[in-house]
Amino acid sequence: MTFFAKFCIPFIIGTVFLFAVVLIKYLTWLRDLPKSDLKLIIRGIPTPRTLAAVWEVVCESLLHRRIFRVNPMLGYMHMSLAFGWFLLIAVGWIETVAYLGLRWVPLQGHVFFKYFVPLNGITEHKPLFDFAMDALLLFVLSGVGLAWFKRMRSRALGMKRTTKHILFDRIALSALWCIFPVRLLAESITAAIYGGGSFLTGGIGSGLASIMSVNTLTLLYEPIWWLYSIALGTFFVAMPFSRYMHIFTEIPLIFLRHYRLKPEDKEKSYDNFEVEACSRCGICIDPCQLQLQLGINDVQSVYFLRDRRYNMLQQKIANNCLMCGRCEQTCPVGINLNTLRLNSRTSMRNIPNEGRYNYLRGLDRSQGEGQVGYFAGCMTLLTPNTMTSMQRIFEAAHEKVWWADKEGGVCCGRPLRLTGETDSAQKMVDYNKALFAKHNITTLVTSCPICLRVLRDEYNLEGIEVLHHSEYILRLMRQGRLRVRYSSELSFTYHDPCELGRGSGIYDEPRAVIEAIGQLLEPEHNRKNAFCCGSSVANTAINDAQQLTIAQHVAAELDSTGAETVVTACPQCKKAIVRGSKRQVMDLSEIVAQNLR
Amino acid sequence: MKHVIIIGGGIAGMQCACTLAEKGIATTIIEKDSDLGGKIRSWHVLFPTFTPADQVLSAVRHRLAKAESVTIKTGCEAVKITPKCVTLSTGEELTCDAVVIATGFTLFDARLKEEYGYGIYDNVVTSVDLEQMFNKGEVRLTSGLTPRRIAILHCVGSRDEKVCQRHCSKVCCVTGVKQAIELKKMFPAADVFNFYMDIRMFGPGYEEMYREAQLMHNVHFVRGRISEVSPTIDGRLQIKAEDTLTGRPLKMGIDMLVLLIGMRSNDMNPTLEAESGLKCQPSGFMQPKDSFLGNVESPIEGIFYAGAVTAPKNIGESINEGTAAALAAAEWINK
Repeated sequence: MTFFAKFCIPFIIGTVFLFAVVLIKYLTWLRDLPKSDLKLIIRGIPTPRTLAAVWEVVCESLLHRRIFRVNPMLGYMHMSLAFGWFLLIAVGWIETVAYLGLRWVPLQGHVFFKYFVPLNGITEHKPLFDFAMDALLLFVLSGVGLAWFKRMRSRALGMKRTTKHILFDRIALSALWCIFPVRLLAESITAAIYGGGSFLTGGIGSGLASIMSVNTLTLLYEPIWWLYSIALGTFFVAMPFSRYMHIFTEIPLIFLRHYRLKPEDKEKSYDNFEVEACSRCGICIDPCQLQLQLGINDVQSVYFLRDRRYNMLQQKIANNCLMCGRCEQTCPVGINLNTLRLNSRTSMRNIPNEGRYNYLRGLDRSQGEGQVGYFAGCMTLLTPNTMTSMQRIFEAAHEKVWWADKEGGVCCGRPLRLTGETDSAQKMVDYNKALFAKHNITTLVTSCPICLRVLRDEYNLEGIEVLHHSEYILRLMRQGRLRVRYSSELSFTYHDPCELGRGSGIYDEPRAVIEAIGQLLEPEHNRKNAFCCGSSVANTAINDAQQLTIAQHVAAELDSTGAETVVTACPQCKKAIVRGSKRQVMDLSEIVAQNLR
Repeated sequence: MKHVIIIGGGIAGMQCACTLAEKGIATTIIEKDSDLGGKIRSWHVLFPTFTPADQVLSAVRHRLAKAESVTIKTGCEAVKITPKCVTLSTGEELTCDAVVIATGFTLFDARLKEEYGYGIYDNVVTSVDLEQMFNKGEVRLTSGLTPRRIAILHCVGSRDEKVCQRHCSKVCCVTGVKQAIELKKMFPAADVFNFYMDIRMFGPGYEEMYREAQLMHNVHFVRGRISEVSPTIDGRLQIKAEDTLTGRPLKMGIDMLVLLIGMRSNDMNPTLEAESGLKCQPSGFMQPKDSFLGNVESPIEGIFYAGAVTAPKNIGESINEGTAAALAAAEWINK
């Protein structure tokens, strides 16, 4: 048997093209990786991490466990397409082996096996295989059906908005949607002429045979297999340039992640794996508050990654993001959306002004002495109630404090980093690091989560423990150094700041402090799903009125808890929420200082 | 006898009642405070003539006392307003032939600009606090000493998107100049600085007063907003600002900071819009029927406006609108 027919040509061309392009892409990306990343890969391969990666590939690329967690219907849709198709290939391969024994069969021989070997009863297991293949085909078709349904009524599948796709994606999508219905038809017509097939193809086949003459069926036989081959070929050609590149890219990405590669401040070759692993599923659109509360529909992570991938990213898109991390939280591929956006901004904006920071040399406006340092940050200096409250807390705990910036200090650098001016930010980081080292502190407390992020993640302060004031206050309370009054009359609600919650994973400490003082009423969106206050320093694109609109939404939800005081633990959030809330809005330190015993 | 209900017993509402009474129309003034007079009761002297505010208020009070058929209801608010009926917070329903809304404005809460430290640091006061100090005849620091360097900050809660107040409150500039002159008269040796964005001297005699402040009283004017205030170890205040004319940041130690707080719209205005079919402007102040030909009329016939309920206004303008609203209401009733 030659396993070749003319109709196979589109499929063969498509397949060869696909594998050539994918191979070229991977080799180029790997070649361009920095040496340090290559070292990580080489060291990682002979370790158990490789096995862990294999397992994750099965769980994610085939079973789509993470999407299941976000949305079971979407999970099923993706699993039926990916895992179902994979099983069709695998079982199909076993079928050929069962029929021909272990011998080389060209790829099209496996794919179009039903065409080449249509007759039933050749081996004793044939009905079993027919049944399995029909069942799998039905499984995949159910996924295709859901995908169609999702296009028409996405809400029914739990998605308010779906991605607006570009032309290439539409071509690939149409081809993908054709593949399995056409396959069903082709196999059914084959079954109608030659017999065979199970409940699905066999059933439809006998149905067709009863309404059509053998001549009509024979006339349709070749064209329908041509159509199937063309659908496959079209999909394969479009695939590496469309969103379906994610199917292959996610696999090496999982391995690279297990070898501890990650995106950094500046763009690098590894980012390609993350960018092209985006399937543009659009799950990131719904949680985005710019869409939810402002109706901005073209800046979400899915569009950012798409624009970046096709080299058409504009600053206005890159800059229009709160970096609240709500989308990153739900991304089924686990792409580091914030870091990628940051390094895109860095590529666009990072032009350090060498002279501008000369004044930092020799500057020291700090005061006091102590093992514990307090870094207020610029925003806390604009909310002096927080500062005076911290002072009272320190006094109550008899803590000797070194005040880093009470009289005005140098910015932590995070706002500049967020705009992409990484190198300028580094000058501030270096300045503050030297300042902390000079004053021999062992603990550094800050009441600003924006500062906290950069102090923890970028400063590498050896020998200095960096604490958010919520952690520090709770520690003082647990050590018995700080005693507060509890009153069940007092009711609070708590707004999770993005940089503190999703950014630093601090959810419980502020809650524990509040619950030591009064009753805590949770808003609808809290912890990982908490809303952003809208005044994020990361977004330089929206205007004040838009920031206010978001703040009003967030404040309304907080107010509706019925709590008399809205508490947050970030000066920026406080300033934002105060504009929209009808309740009193306070920093965590303020309610502690007011209720000291 | 025809009857008009005036909501708000400030200077505009009082003037309105006087004029209507003189036309033989009965009025009822609804005032939420325990006494008539409104904000002017707190003011010391009025710009640009330095006329005592009390003198102006007494004149109107005197006229009102002589007027006939004026009923005054204090300590209650209007909750629902139609041209023929006003429902009070007490549940009482008053019928009438027309309504004049003269509810004025609300003072901006300076604590919302936390960075200026009002309510946090000593010796940060608002322009209203300062008027009351002038009324008591004594301006002192919390230490009991007299201030030697005073900064007056314009536009606190005006022209400020960050606190949702985009409009200009109009009278703060001239108030700042007036208070600076009063302070200089009180403490000739003190330095008084005005920090401003623009100086808007819109009325007759205002510009002259501004010139006089610089030439005769040596008041300093710095174009730039104060960004933040912090206390110093010796109990003074340190301000950070930028002199935008020289383009330099500056820091200054001061003894006292005066915040010229703006006029914002009343919290009840959206309720008027929702309940009575009236209209608010984007600033929150009520929208008159026409900016030129119907300044004291609302979009609803039989409901009129007087004074700062429609926009920030000075005392003279508010009194004029009281008269104008009274005339418009009388004309409408007798039509």
